[in-house]
Amino acid sequence: MMDQPRFDRRRALLGGLSVFGGLALVSSRAHGAVRFFASPPLGPRAAPRTLLLLQLSGGNDGLSTLVPYGDDAYHSARPTLRLPADRLLKLDDYRALHPELGRLRKLFDSGSLAIVQGAGYPRPVRSHFKSMDIWHTADLRGRAVGEGWVGRLCGCAWAGAEGTDRVVHVGANVPYSLHSSAHPPTSFVTPVSYRWAGSEREVEAYGEAGAMDGAREGEEANLELLRRTLADAQASSERIRRAAARYRSAVDYPADPFAAALRDVAALCNGGLGSRVFSVELGGFDTHTDQKNRHDALMRRLDAALGAFLEDLARSEAGRELVVLVFSEFGRRLKENGSRGTDHGVAAPMFVAGTAVKGGLYGKHPALTDLDEGDLRHTVDFRAVYAAIIEGWFGVRQERVLGKRYEPLPLV
Amino acid sequence: MIDLLLMLVPACAPGDPIEWNARAAEHLLNRAGFGARPAEIERAVRVGQAAFVEELLAGYGDDEPFFLDPPERPARAEMAAMGPEARREAQGRYRRGQRELLFQFSGWWIAEMLEGRHPLRERMTLFWHGYFTSSFREVKNAAAMVRQNELYRRHALGRFDQLLREVVRDPAMLAYLDNDQNRKASPNENLARELMELFTLGEGNYTEQDVKEAARALTGWRAREGEAAFFNRRQHDRGRKSVLGVIGNLDADGLVDVLLKQPACPRWVAGKLLAWFEGREPEEARLAEYAAFLKQSEWDLSAFLRKLFLDPQFYSEAVVGTRIAGPVEYLVGSCRRLGLEPPPQLVWLAAGQLGERLFDPPNVKGWEGGAAWVTTSSLLQRGNYAGMLLGVVKLENVLRPDPEMASEMSMDEGDEGMDGMDEGPAEPRERTGGEEGDGPAAARARARLQAAGLGAELGGLRRLGELYRPNLNLSARCLRAGAASDAAILATLCSELLAVELTAPSRAVLTKFLDGERASLGVADGKLLEQQPEAERLLRRIAHLILSLPEAQLH
Repeated sequence: MMDQPRFDRRRALLGGLSVFGGLALVSSRAHGAVRFFASPPLGPRAAPRTLLLLQLSGGNDGLSTLVPYGDDAYHSARPTLRLPADRLLKLDDYRALHPELGRLRKLFDSGSLAIVQGAGYPRPVRSHFKSMDIWHTADLRGRAVGEGWVGRLCGCAWAGAEGTDRVVHVGANVPYSLHSSAHPPTSFVTPVSYRWAGSEREVEAYGEAGAMDGAREGEEANLELLRRTLADAQASSERIRRAAARYRSAVDYPADPFAAALRDVAALCNGGLGSRVFSVELGGFDTHTDQKNRHDALMRRLDAALGAFLEDLARSEAGRELVVLVFSEFGRRLKENGSRGTDHGVAAPMFVAGTAVKGGLYGKHPALTDLDEGDLRHTVDFRAVYAAIIEGWFGVRQERVLGKRYEPLPLV
Repeated sequence: MIDLLLMLVPACAPGDPIEWNARAAEHLLNRAGFGARPAEIERAVRVGQAAFVEELLAGYGDDEPFFLDPPERPARAEMAAMGPEARREAQGRYRRGQRELLFQFSGWWIAEMLEGRHPLRERMTLFWHGYFTSSFREVKNAAAMVRQNELYRRHALGRFDQLLREVVRDPAMLAYLDNDQNRKASPNENLARELMELFTLGEGNYTEQDVKEAARALTGWRAREGEAAFFNRRQHDRGRKSVLGVIGNLDADGLVDVLLKQPACPRWVAGKLLAWFEGREPEEARLAEYAAFLKQSEWDLSAFLRKLFLDPQFYSEAVVGTRIAGPVEYLVGSCRRLGLEPPPQLVWLAAGQLGERLFDPPNVKGWEGGAAWVTTSSLLQRGNYAGMLLGVVKLENVLRPDPEMASEMSMDEGDEGMDGMDEGPAEPRERTGGEEGDGPAAARARARLQAAGLGAELGGLRRLGELYRPNLNLSARCLRAGAASDAAILATLCSELLAVELTAPSRAVLTKFLDGERASLGVADGKLLEQQPEAERLLRRIAHLILSLPEAQLH
């Protein structure tokens, strides 16, 4: 376990020397080290507060996640998809969690899982891309506003700080929420692939090519930028691969790529890399046909992986400073369609989890009998949840990121 | 081969005629096209500057026009008669057909860039694709995207005013900027706003009221299923509008006329063109000069580019070799300089992974370009894709942990619960016979790539990459250039592969690497090229290193 971030960084840096070898490297590594140690002020709080954005892509069926089993309208709208009451994990006499969400249920009981009911936004859009853009930019205009909301958060919270790995996406498609040219995210599908590929001796030469910064006064600005980025990239690649390779956890993660991505996040969070926002995606939620088996399997995967991840994080100081935000671009129609599936809908629950989270139910479950063209009306603007993270967790005035004010939910 | 000494010409004062030499010709070929082989550069020098600029404007021949064979959308009546599952299946087939069509066209476009029949037209088409951008994600109709691209190539070197007039009724643009919803009773401002903000004037040169009035002028233009534009008279607002001080019953053409007459318009267009070709924002006096020229030449883009390519300042120290190449420029440029002919889709997929997915811009502003291309992830991957094009990097190599990490990973496998991963959705475990570091970790990594939805992307890359072998003989090229010693070999490779001069520290790294590798083959300096095939393999690895250098990202 990496309870000593300071020590671990030193090890990583010294390790860097042994990988590339050669004296030429010392200046760069030393340079990197100075900047690196200078990054997060290690005050009384040893581990920085962090966030994991967990995106359920495709439109998760909120009504099969947080199930309003106490409502007759639910049963009549879902003749083939309704979940049997005896298997549900009941929270009260109206709501229950999906039967496969056993680990999350335990977290709810122990007070480290918050469920925000009926999250959405005004004038809902039912296109995957456009709706996801709205969640990613926290703006109804979508991408037209420029950066993603995490990019804006970076600009406000950590603008001056050096931060190569400030924002890390583990996966193939970097979500637009992280889009920012001033604070580009580090991204890779798996830590092993986050590297420049070549034989050992080529890698050594490549390392030296990145080690030359500071050698030229008055170098052309773009060349200087490229050289600096190359040095950063090599250091970042090595830190991340090392942190992932070295990570030991007492918790068993499921044998599943999604769980492996979460395990990487745990490794980086505990590896003291100074990362503040992580992002991971789980896809497959666009269940227009034969939803039952597919959605059950997705809930099982989500519960097993997220459960293991949160159990793992609860064991370390850095892990206890991480909050997970689970969201999807929209929920699904109340009434099931003719192919035992559901079509694109609107409001759905969000999960906010972590040791630091004040668990429980938030907001109001949308009424199943007061529909807007067949869809649930949202009862909480999702930006009120972002506001809680931005203000309550990162201590940044929400207007600077969201452009206006939302009453933050007391989630953290 | 270009003599490196030619790169050391003294900087000239603005206005002085430049010396038309290999350095100047190479610069023009880099910016007006996608890079060139030494023979093309030599020819350009011989032809002379003015004549060569005319060659670029004229191109070297027609392209083989793309044959557009769009997937057929099932008829409404037919769809209505289907059961829900059959209908979904038919829709899925149609959507797949759309994606395949765009994949095919992307390959066609990249092939045109690689073949170099009309490099300047391709370069300008790429410029307009980012300037008047639209995204397949939202347009959802590949044929409309293809037709939009054909519109841009048709006007690439024509007249801006004519291009603009057609853009406001381009089906893909109408769909992308929601003009379908722009009706008399409920105007949608999206197209009107971007028309002013991004296409003609820039922010600060119009008011919100102008946007509202302009939106009314554009009411009624719609795209039928994204394929054909038509004007719905009944949805058009025929009332009086007031845009930028002009009052009248403006329609789309009338609005375009108003915008073209604004002094901000030639400044905006000239500024974007100068920034794209020079890689930096123009100074005020120069911007004013070019804006005035654009207006006076009646928006003639060829005249504009002719002026630019003959302008001594275009060849100044501040411009030459200082622009960060975008992913397409980097990949196509590397192929052209090496003389490689990879499957064009391989280049398209790689460019997408590096942040420039054609037909899928990040937002309505297109790609930001410049420094925004450079991230830690993209820089490492640029080297990997260059290695793939050179045939020295396979995806497997990227996924295999390096030896240092491998020892830590294997510890990981010993005492961790991750072993079960191998029974997961991973491919059958591969036995690669003694290859260091491959095995379960690489198999897991592959499984994750697939699960991450990269089956189509990296999976496709992998399949294309497996069949691909570069037709390349760097040794022969060095011999032809009379290079035998280490120093001469490096000089030859760098001058062919790089658009800028190699910096001294990078040269030191390459020299040390070549020296060490040659020595380990037991060959003396000057005799390397006699030792085949080892020498050729080594030269390709050096080319991989060169293309991974900071210098290789500039042109």
